[in-house]
Amino acid sequence: MIRTKFSGIAFKKQLPFHVFVGLGILYLMVFSYIPMFGILIAFKNYRISSGIEGIFTSAWSGLSHFKELVDDYNFPSLVRNTLALSLLKVAFSYPVPILFAIMLSEVRHTALKRFVQTVSYLPHFVSWVVVTGIAYAFFSTGYGIFNDSLLSLGILKKPIEVLTDPGSFYGLAVSTAIWKEAGWWTIIFLAALAGIDPALYEAAEIDGAGRLRRILYITLPGLKSACIVVLILSIGSMLGGGLVGSNFEQSMLLGNPLNNDRSQIIQTYAFNVGLAQGRFSFATAIDLIQSVISLVLIFSSNFIAKRISGTGLY
Amino acid sequence: MTLRRKKSLEDWSLDTFILLALLVIVLITLYPFYYILVITFNAGTDTTNGGMYFWPRDFTLANYSYFLNDSKWIKALGMSLLRTLVGTALGVLFTSLVAYGLAKKDLIFRNAYFLIILFAMNFSGGLIAYYVVLRSIGLINTFGVYVIPGMLNLFFLLIAISFFRDIPEELGESARIDGASEVRIFSRIMLPVSMPLLATMCLFIGSGHWNAWLDSAYFVQNESLRTLTYRMMQVINQTSMPSGDAAASAVARTHVTPFSIQATAMVVSIVPILGVYPFLQKHFVSGMMLGSVKG
Repeated sequence: MIRTKFSGIAFKKQLPFHVFVGLGILYLMVFSYIPMFGILIAFKNYRISSGIEGIFTSAWSGLSHFKELVDDYNFPSLVRNTLALSLLKVAFSYPVPILFAIMLSEVRHTALKRFVQTVSYLPHFVSWVVVTGIAYAFFSTGYGIFNDSLLSLGILKKPIEVLTDPGSFYGLAVSTAIWKEAGWWTIIFLAALAGIDPALYEAAEIDGAGRLRRILYITLPGLKSACIVVLILSIGSMLGGGLVGSNFEQSMLLGNPLNNDRSQIIQTYAFNVGLAQGRFSFATAIDLIQSVISLVLIFSSNFIAKRISGTGLY
Repeated sequence: MTLRRKKSLEDWSLDTFILLALLVIVLITLYPFYYILVITFNAGTDTTNGGMYFWPRDFTLANYSYFLNDSKWIKALGMSLLRTLVGTALGVLFTSLVAYGLAKKDLIFRNAYFLIILFAMNFSGGLIAYYVVLRSIGLINTFGVYVIPGMLNLFFLLIAISFFRDIPEELGESARIDGASEVRIFSRIMLPVSMPLLATMCLFIGSGHWNAWLDSAYFVQNESLRTLTYRMMQVINQTSMPSGDAAASAVARTHVTPFSIQATAMVVSIVPILGVYPFLQKHFVSGMMLGSVKG
């Protein structure tokens, strides 16, 4: 009894702080937790007119929406595109910031180093819409500088329809993503490099190791744990686009009716079906499948990394 | 020492290789921006002929004057500025206020609060359920949908909590003895000493608002609420002129094209970023590193 009474007084004393936190909790209830209950929609026949209440009151439909998805003629290409984009992005973007950071660390000239760093962070702060606009300016077949220059140099015989040819979409998405985000991710590796003891380099130098050897035997091992952490993060967030940005935004912006076959991914399909056609239950079912796969990826990549190297996030 | 300072062949070739590689990276990064800038100073109808790489061929300011005289673009620019200012202010203040509450020493229910936050960080109900909620509380098709759903940034919440914990308690204590309310202590003492934190938050939350387009595209139908990024996206999605027949006649008069106007909008949207870039640059690394430690 005494204890509860005591804590009641203490709570009163802290009341302003609990009000501050309470506002935040209230906010999370509305914008995070109610939507979480919204997952129920996937197992129901939900109509948007029934509002939040409808999440709980509408009739159950079992797994019918999931079955509908699997039977959907778009399903195989959706899965293929989602996986291909995600895997290609991880595979091609992962080494870029590491190599870039190693190169930067070998630059002695501080001003030059800072200049290159400053420039390479810039695209990170620019919207995907602008990046897509730039891609249009470069690759459009009418006036785009890409086809224009290659044609006039005689390297190409006829223009490549980069923006509309389904076969070009993966390459386009992966390369623009690297252009936008790879510079930004070097920060993490540069920080890891700053943590390497300079005495190691001096000792190696005295022992006669050249710079390549020092990179191989000191720099790379020094980056190991940063590499593992970033790899876990990339694989865990793979379906969203990994570290080099949003699959969703890219597919929305770079995708068009002509390259739909390669640009439509699970998320954009859910979005289009859900919001444009009003099939909310069906779209939520698609969302849910992707979330479950993501969770499995996060935990399994973390588990494997821990097993192999002893480094993990959790 | 003198012996070792001499560059070996390995040193020389490595330095050359790295220098060349960095030069290529800088060019690949900067040239696209430069190219867009060139387009905006060239007559749009001439740009469509192709073959322009480094310098405007048919120099004109028509794209900019068209942009500045088109109420649709100007309104969109104003809307983007407004949402960025309001959204950033709300986001930074609300996030740090909640963080200040959570940073309180010996806070009762602390663990329960953190559990709620961490769970919300890792799980979400997906976009559709989110839309349902936004619709039900009446945010769809209002200015609020731009600034309210992003008010609490969980990532910066954790960063701000650890920042406030490092501020010596005596700082607030003396004001508390003098009878200042917690809101006052927060706004008059805690915020002013947290400038590095606030600057980092402003940078990241602000650029998020400035660059957002999805909410304008899907949560808003009211044309007067459209943002600059939305208008740019619209041009990407449709090859038609942004403002119909009036614009078509403007093309004939001024030699602008949807594409050259869009390039102009892109430059306009990049300029503010470049403007704040030098001031906030020192905070990039701290922001990123704080985040990665929490990662």
